[in-house]
This record gives sequence, C-alpha cells and structure tokens, in this order.
Amino acid sequence: MKVAGRQAIYRYPLLTRASHWLWVLAFVVLIGSGLQIFNASPNLDASDKSDAARRVLAIGSPADGVGTTKLFGHTFFTTGWLGWTDDGMGAKSAHAFPAPIIIPGYQDLAAGRRWHLFFAWIAALCWLAWLISSAIKGNLREMILRPSDLPKLWPMQAFYLKLRKEPPPHGIYNPLQKAAYTTVLFVLAPLVVLTGLALSPGIDAIANPLTVVFGGRQFARLWHFVGMVLLVGFFGIHTFQVATQGVVNQMRSMISGWYQPQ
Amino acid sequence: MRRRLFLASAASALAGCGPIGSALNNNDNVRRILASAEGLNHLLIGTRGLAREYRENDVDRHFRVNGFAAPSDTRYTDLVARNFAPYRLFVEGAVERPAIFSLAQLRRMPQQTQITRHDCVEGWSAIGKWSGVPLGGLLDMVGLRNDARYVVFRCMDNDGSGNLYYESLDLHQASHPQALLALRLNDAPLDPDHGAPVRLRVPTQLGYKSAKWVARIEVVGSFATIAGGRGGYWEDQGYEWYAGI
Repeated sequence: MKVAGRQAIYRYPLLTRASHWLWVLAFVVLIGSGLQIFNASPNLDASDKSDAARRVLAIGSPADGVGTTKLFGHTFFTTGWLGWTDDGMGAKSAHAFPAPIIIPGYQDLAAGRRWHLFFAWIAALCWLAWLISSAIKGNLREMILRPSDLPKLWPMQAFYLKLRKEPPPHGIYNPLQKAAYTTVLFVLAPLVVLTGLALSPGIDAIANPLTVVFGGRQFARLWHFVGMVLLVGFFGIHTFQVATQGVVNQMRSMISGWYQPQ
Repeated sequence: MRRRLFLASAASALAGCGPIGSALNNNDNVRRILASAEGLNHLLIGTRGLAREYRENDVDRHFRVNGFAAPSDTRYTDLVARNFAPYRLFVEGAVERPAIFSLAQLRRMPQQTQITRHDCVEGWSAIGKWSGVPLGGLLDMVGLRNDARYVVFRCMDNDGSGNLYYESLDLHQASHPQALLALRLNDAPLDPDHGAPVRLRVPTQLGYKSAKWVARIEVVGSFATIAGGRGGYWEDQGYEWYAGI
C-alpha cells in the first residue's frame, strides 16, 4: 500500500498501537503517583527492614530552605529540585520530589496510592494482552533480541554515530531497537511488576521467596525505583529517536499502523 | 532548535503531570474508578498464608513509632500513671457473651509471640517481637453471633479534631492465626507511644490496620454507620480498607 505517495508497510497491529498509547498514559501516571508514594518515605535501603546503615538514597531537608540528596553517602545540595521543593500549595517546604511532577500535585499519599494501584493493573493487563496477541500473530519473533543480533549491535550504534555509512542488514527492527524493546518488555517491565508485588505484605505472606529474591522489602523498593529510572531513561532515548528519525512517519505508524521504510 | 523544542515540550509535559492529576483527582467519578482496584486486590491477594517470622537478632530494639504519639488527654495519662490498673477491654456487639477484661486477665490468657515485620503505608519497615492474646481465640471465647461480619476496634486516641481512631477487620482477617492483641513489644510491656496497654497486630496488612490503644472491640454486621463509614480512621481519609498491598 502507498501512504502519502510512498510505499508503506503495515508495521503495527491495532493491539500493539492501543497498548502502546495506553502504556504511555499508564507510564506517566505510574511515575507521577510513584514519586508521590516515594515522598512519604524518601529513603531507599538495600535491606529487608528499614536500615539507615544500608541507605543508598536519601532525599531530605536538614534545615528549612535546604534540600539535599544523599546517594551512596555523598551529599548533593538540591534545594528547589529535590528535598526542599514546591509543595503545590503555593510554598516551598520539605518534600522530596516537587509537586508539579507528582500525582496528585500536592502531598496526598492515599490518592497517590489509588492512582498507582489502578494504573498498575492497566499497564500489567495491557502487557499481558499484547504479549499473548503478539505471540499468536508472530510479531514477537521480529522484536526479540537473538544471539545472532549481538555482533550487529556495535555496527548499528556506529551507524547512529555517523561512523558508518550503512546500517547492518536487519529486519523490521534494527538490532539496537530489538535490544531496547527486549530489555524494556521482558526485563524492566517484569522487574517493576514483581518488585511492586514484593512490597505488599499480603503477597509477602503468600509468596515470601519473591521478597527474599530481591533482598527484602526495602531492597525491593530500591529495585522498583531503579527499574523506574531505567524506564525513564528508555523513554527519553525513545522519544528523542522518534523526534529525530522522521517524526511524522513514526507517529503516523503508531497511530494508523502504516510505516514507510527509509 | 529541534532539540531545544523537544526538551522544552518534554519538560512542560512532565510539569503538567501534578496539576492535571490534581484536577482529575478531585472528580468523584475518577475517584470511584480508581478505587475499583482495591476490590480486585482484595479478591486476588486476600488474607492467605502467614507473614514471615524472623529471628531474635532481626528485631529493631528501638521500634519506630507509627501513626500518632501517645494520647495526651487526662483519661489516658491517668491510666498510664496508674499503670493501667483501671484499664478494661470491652468486647461487645454481635457476640453471644459480651465480656470485659482487665489487663491482668488478658495477661493470664494463652499468649502467642511473633517476630514479624511491620510495613508502614509510608514505605518503611521495622521488625518487632510481639506477644499477646491471639484475636481469634478471644473471639471464640465470646462467641460470634450469626449476624457478625466485621470486628471493629475502638481506640483511645484522637487526631486533635475529635475524630477517634478506629479500625476494622472482616471475620476471616480477625481469625488469621497471626492476628494478635499485643500486650508486649520486645520483651517488655507496650509503652504508651507503641499503643499501651493493648494494640492490634495484623502483619499481613499495612501498619495502619494495627490499631494502637484499643479500648473496645465491637463486633458488627456493617461499619457503614460508624464515623465516616469506611471502616477505619485512615480509610475515612481515603486509604484502602483492604491494606494487603
């Protein structure tokens, strides 16, 4: 089929497109509400119970008007950005993440939890529906990174860095895309779901090994946060790529399904 | 230019998160839809299995105080001053044999000890050694009537605006083998900040279910007519009644 006068391929089935945009929504809500929940106890410990001796990250306000972020024992002054921030009520006070990026946009742990636990279901069910449908339709095969893709990773990166004229030969997705999608969908997504479940005292009573595997409840909270940071990193690179690699073609393909190969 | 535009739009999209979330959060229909996840979580996770029990050397000797500090009204401070001798626990409502227990009577009942982790809704955890009377045993003693559905715990503290703290469990949660009316923490009688003389321990749910300063246990068919009608002090402030997650 031709789109805008050029040959196009049907790249994204409806369920992929629908889950993509639902994930965008869920991602934004889960991050905003997750930061709201984090603010209620802005420390991350590499331990089961809370343990200041094993504290990896601590965002706080040692004095009025001062915000600090302590990472592996190194203190950074982050006044205005982290620790001492906009509270969403027209003032600045001791809050880890600033109100404009948390959901809702003021301190309300109960509401943050409701948003988080609802959209966690949306994201997880969406993932499951997408996985089953893609496995049946065979789209998964083109997406998953295989050992034979590994030698092509650097040539692809070299192409992006303009060190190489042509990308290595590949299918619908290039090897770096495959690496990114495989990591996000099959490593990071399960990581944030499982570490989230490991935080639940009810789940812990049913499946304690899950909590133990991650090093305990606080450690699971740390992994949950790390998973979030890595997903935000992917989100940043992903949107940058879309914005710079033919944004119209990219956006059209994720809306209508039709993509014009370069 | 394009990069700057991209960064600017990303930053403004991010900063829009809070205000848009706030606006939606105040909509009743949105709140109802969001709250529907609680029922699903309750159904799927429920109250199954046993909370992990730890070893003596895992215990936090200075157990972090959750929720409010000790009540400051004279009714409570008098009890502390008299070492809780006048304290009585009332067990009433939809029970066959309503009863009143003194602290000495509670101490003479068969005791259970558990070293379990307290998971606060705020995100922190602490491990304590709790001893006291298994809740299920106490309810067996008074006998539940057929119309009994929930066990409500009325507490001695208030939030300063006159709202008394209360909590509730369903019968399944109340008869869980680790649901405990704790009298002791870390080998000593509970101190006032930790809920003396009697507090609840529900290690399979978040800390706010573990009500402190329990004065009255009321078995009811429904908690809809109590205070805000959501089954607990924090529930009335918007927290989930099912606190297993």
